[in-house]
Amino acid sequence: MNTHQYLRAYLAGVFVPTLVLPLLLAVFIVARIVLQVPVPIEQAMIFPMAVVPSLFGLWNMLWLGSHERTHLSIGLHGAILPLVLMPMGATTAHCLGVLAFSSHGVTWFQAAYVPYALIAPCFVAALAAYYLVWKYIVGALNRVLGIA
Amino acid sequence: MNTHDEDRLKRLLQQALPPVESDPEPGRDLWPAMLRRLDARPAAAPLRFWAWFDAALLAGLAAFAALVPASIPVFLYYL
Repeated sequence: MNTHQYLRAYLAGVFVPTLVLPLLLAVFIVARIVLQVPVPIEQAMIFPMAVVPSLFGLWNMLWLGSHERTHLSIGLHGAILPLVLMPMGATTAHCLGVLAFSSHGVTWFQAAYVPYALIAPCFVAALAAYYLVWKYIVGALNRVLGIA
Repeated sequence: MNTHDEDRLKRLLQQALPPVESDPEPGRDLWPAMLRRLDARPAAAPLRFWAWFDAALLAGLAAFAALVPASIPVFLYYL
């Protein structure tokens, strides 16, 4: 059971985004086709489909390779990921026209307006969400796959 | 089974089983390790604290999503 540890870590990492992606796709399709919200679905799906799963897998591999030295819990390790992911995602979204900046806030997907005052609470909430996801889902998968 | 067979069986058993040492006690004192294990048991209290902390975090997240629904698609975008 000690073979291919990093491969198993990668697979445990990509599990959550792979599970969420079809749900996200369904939400966007319902919003665009059923509710007639003009969501730029093609541009919006690039980052969650191409970058997020790979980064989750690589981040779990990094935890496997580093936790012997850092002794960082899987939850805290996962909570650091938004610090990497959010600037990347925001930059990609801005370049693809999914994220628009205005004088009072940002507009995601040409539909969801978030004032600047709520950006910091959103970021804290993302850290908390990632902490919980990594602690309870990725951590449990790591235990099941025998790498934690 | 005659005497010859009994002797042969005895010899075979002696060859198969390791000889019992004259002092069968372990080489080190096991009591300190036992005490350490007993001391490690009350770790349930911090675990309970973390369970409450995580539950509060989850409740806070749900409340935040309810108060700022625009944050939900943004969270999904990053997951």
